[in-house]
Amino acid sequence: MRRDRFHKRLFEIIPGLLTWSTIIGLFALAFIKPLWVAIFVITFDLYWVIRMTYLSLLMLFAYRRLAKERNLDWLKKCESLGPMKGLAPKDIYHAVLFPVHKEGPDILKPSIKSLESARYPKEKMIVILSVEERAGRKAWDNALALKKEHQNNFRNFLVTSHPQNLPGEIKAKGANATWGAKALKGLLDSDKIDYEHVVISCFDADTCVDREYFGCLTYHYIISPDRTRSSYQPIPVYNNNIWHARSIARLLELGSSFMQMIETMRVEKFVTFSSHSMSFRTLVDVDYWPLDMISDDSVIYWKCFLHFNGSYSVVPIYVTVSMDVATEAGILPTIIKQYKQKRRWAWGVENFPYIAIGFMRNKKIPFIVKVRRSFNVLESHYTWAVWAIIVTFIAPLPIIFGGGLFRQTAMGYNLPSVSATLFNMSLFTLFVCIFVSMKLLPPRPKDVKPQKHLIMYTQWLLAPLVAAFLGSTPAIDAQTRLMLGKYMHFQVTEKKRRGEVG
Amino acid sequence: MRPRDKVMRAIAFYFSVILFCVLLPVILSYALGYQIDYYNFKIYKTGILYIASRPAGASIYLNGVMRQDLTPTRIEELKPGKYKVEVRKDGFYPWEKDMTVRPNMVTKADHIVLFSLTQEMKAVSQGGIRYFLVSNNNYIYYMKRSGLFRSDMDGADLRKLSSYGNWPDNIIGRKFSSNNNEFLFFSSSRLGMVHLQPGPVRVDDVFIGQDPILDAFWYPGAGYIIVVTDKDIKVVELSGAGTRNIVSLYKFNSSPQNVRYDENNGSLYFIDTRIGVDSVESNYLYRLDLKERFFDGIMQLLLKKEPDTGYEKR
Repeated sequence: MRRDRFHKRLFEIIPGLLTWSTIIGLFALAFIKPLWVAIFVITFDLYWVIRMTYLSLLMLFAYRRLAKERNLDWLKKCESLGPMKGLAPKDIYHAVLFPVHKEGPDILKPSIKSLESARYPKEKMIVILSVEERAGRKAWDNALALKKEHQNNFRNFLVTSHPQNLPGEIKAKGANATWGAKALKGLLDSDKIDYEHVVISCFDADTCVDREYFGCLTYHYIISPDRTRSSYQPIPVYNNNIWHARSIARLLELGSSFMQMIETMRVEKFVTFSSHSMSFRTLVDVDYWPLDMISDDSVIYWKCFLHFNGSYSVVPIYVTVSMDVATEAGILPTIIKQYKQKRRWAWGVENFPYIAIGFMRNKKIPFIVKVRRSFNVLESHYTWAVWAIIVTFIAPLPIIFGGGLFRQTAMGYNLPSVSATLFNMSLFTLFVCIFVSMKLLPPRPKDVKPQKHLIMYTQWLLAPLVAAFLGSTPAIDAQTRLMLGKYMHFQVTEKKRRGEVG
Repeated sequence: MRPRDKVMRAIAFYFSVILFCVLLPVILSYALGYQIDYYNFKIYKTGILYIASRPAGASIYLNGVMRQDLTPTRIEELKPGKYKVEVRKDGFYPWEKDMTVRPNMVTKADHIVLFSLTQEMKAVSQGGIRYFLVSNNNYIYYMKRSGLFRSDMDGADLRKLSSYGNWPDNIIGRKFSSNNNEFLFFSSSRLGMVHLQPGPVRVDDVFIGQDPILDAFWYPGAGYIIVVTDKDIKVVELSGAGTRNIVSLYKFNSSPQNVRYDENNGSLYFIDTRIGVDSVESNYLYRLDLKERFFDGIMQLLLKKEPDTGYEKR
C-alpha cells in the first residue's frame, strides 16, 4: 500500500517536474549559454511550425469528412444494414444521461429539445437527469418540471437525485454520472433489456445533439467489429452561444473543437473528451465512471483500456454535438472563467499516474503499447504546458540576457529574424483555422448585427495574445498542483446564455 | 479511420518529418553563420557585415567591388578577413574604412554619417546682431543695439522684447537659468541679467567688478549667481533693490585655471596653488560644494530645538 502511494506520488510529480525543469532550465541557460538556448529555440520553433502545419492538414481532412458525413441520412443507412453479430439497428436503445448540478431549464431545455428533434425513434430513447442533491431543492424541482413537460416524448424519462457525501466519492461529475447510470441499470433490469442493446451517451447539461447524431451513432455501433470495446466520440463544437460570446472565449473553444477534429485523424491516440457515448454493457463491466477523479470523460476511456487489456479504442463519429462557450459579460470575468475551465481540462494530467500505475499492475498489455500510450499522454500534457512559454517568453531571452558579446555573434544577430520568419510561416495554420471556424459557424441569430461577421474574422488577430497568456498557463497550474499534491476539486463551469441557442 | 485518410495522414506525416530534417540544418547553419558548400560537401564559417548610413540608400563597395544592396543592409556569408569598405552616395562625401570580418560574428558599421558636398546655409535673422542665445524651449534671442529680440528656430515670428541695447562689449558668457525664465550675460567687467518672465522683459545690471570676471553660474535652486573672478569666488544676490549682498566665498592664491561647474551636484571645481607640506608651491584641484545637501537640510530640521518660550509644559 505504501509502495502504491509512493508510485502514485512519483507519477504525479513527473509531469510538473518535467515542465518546470524545462522552463527554469531554459531560463537559467539563457544566462549561462545563450547560444544553446538560441539553437533550442530555433529547433523548437521549426518543429512547432511544421507540427502546426501538419495538424492543420489533419484538421482539413477531418473537416472534409465532417462536411460530408454530417448531412448523410444515417437512419436510411441503418435501414440498409442487416443484423450484424446478432444485433440490428432496430434493436438499439439510446440512453442520454445528463449529470446536472445547478443548470436550470434555460440550459437543459434546449438540450432536451434537441433530443426530441433528433431523427431517431423516440420510443427507443431514454433520458436520465441525475441531479446533485447538494444543488438544492430548486434544481430538483426544475428537473421534475422538465420531466413533466417532456416525459411523453421518450420511452422513459428518469430523474434521480445523487446524494451528497457518499463514501469513496469526491464532488465530481463522474460520481453523479455513475449514480444516474445505476438508476438506468435498474430500469433496464426491470424491463429485461440487454445492456448490449443500449448505447449510453453522457452529456454535459448544455449539449445539443445534431439531428443525425443517434442515427450515425447507431450505424457505427452496429458495424463496429467489437462494439463493446469502443467508445464513440462526436465532434464537440461550441455553437450554442458563439455569436454572443466574447472573442477570447470563442478562440479558446474553437481551439478545443479543432484539437478534437485533429484527434479523430489520430485514432491510435484518441481518447474520449467531454460528451461521448459507449455501450452500456461496457460501462457496467468496468464498474461505471470513477467516483474520485475529476477528468471523468477521459478516465473512463483508460478504465476501459485497462479493463480490456489494451483492446479498447475510440471510434470518431463525424457529427457534431454543440455546447456553450464559457463566457461572461466582461472581458476579465471571461478570461477567469476560461482559465478555470482550461485548468480543469488540463487536470486530465491526473490520467498519467492513473494509467502508469494501471500499466504496472496489468501484465497482459504489451510493453511497447504501455510505453507508447504513457508517452503520448505525458507528451501531450508536457507540450501543452511549455509550448507557449518557449515560443513567447523563452525565445527572446538569449538576446536579452546574452549580453553584448552574444548579440555580436551571427546567432545573436539572426535569431530575431529567423524566429520572425518561422512565426510568419505559421500563418498557414491561422488561415486554416479561420476557414474551418467560418464553416462550423451556425447561422447568425436575428438579434446579432450583420457586422459581427467581420469580427468572426478579425478576432483571429487576438490569437497570438491569447495563445501567449492562456495557451500554457492553465496546464502549468494544473501540473504544479498535481506535483505538489494540492488536488483540484471539481469546479462546475457555470453556463450562462445571452441569446437564443444558435 | 478510412484507408484513404490513413494514406493522406501518412503522406503528411512523413513529408513533415522530411521537411524538418532538411530545413533544420539549413536554418541552424544560416543562423550560426555557416555556409554549406553543397558541391564539395563542406561547411565554412562565415561572418556578417552590417552597414547603415545616414542618409540611407548609399552604395556599398567591398574591396572595390560594388554590391547590389544599398544601406542599410547586412552582407552575409562573408569569408573571415579584412575588407576595405566604402560607402558612397551622389552629392555626399564618401566614407571608407578597413574592417575585419570575424567567423560567426557580426561586424557593424551602423553609425555612418555621410556629409553633403554642398552645405545648406540659411540666414536666420537680419543684420545688426551682436550676440545671440538659443533656449531649450526653441527660441533664439538676439542682442542688438536696438534692443532684445526673439524669434523661433527658423528666424520667423521675430518680436522685440525690450529696447535695452546697452550690452557690454566683448561678452564672454551667456547662460539661461534652469527654467529658462532668465539669462545672464557677462563681460570681463560687467554682469547683467535679462528677466524674460514673469511680466514685461526687464534687463538689470547685476554686478560691476573691479577684478576681471572669468565665469559665472546660476546658484542651484535660489536667487544667487556664482561669479568667478581673477581673485575670488563670489556669491551675488539677485533680489533686493538698491544694495545686493555679495559674499566672497574663496580667495584664490593665484589666478584660477580650469574652473568647471558640476550642475548636477552643485559643485565648483578649480585649480589653485598652495604651498604643500614639502614647502613647495604646487597646483591642487579643489571642490567647492555650493548645493545644500538634502540630508543636511533634514538633519537641521530634526536637530532644530524649539525656542524656549519660558512657559512650563504641562
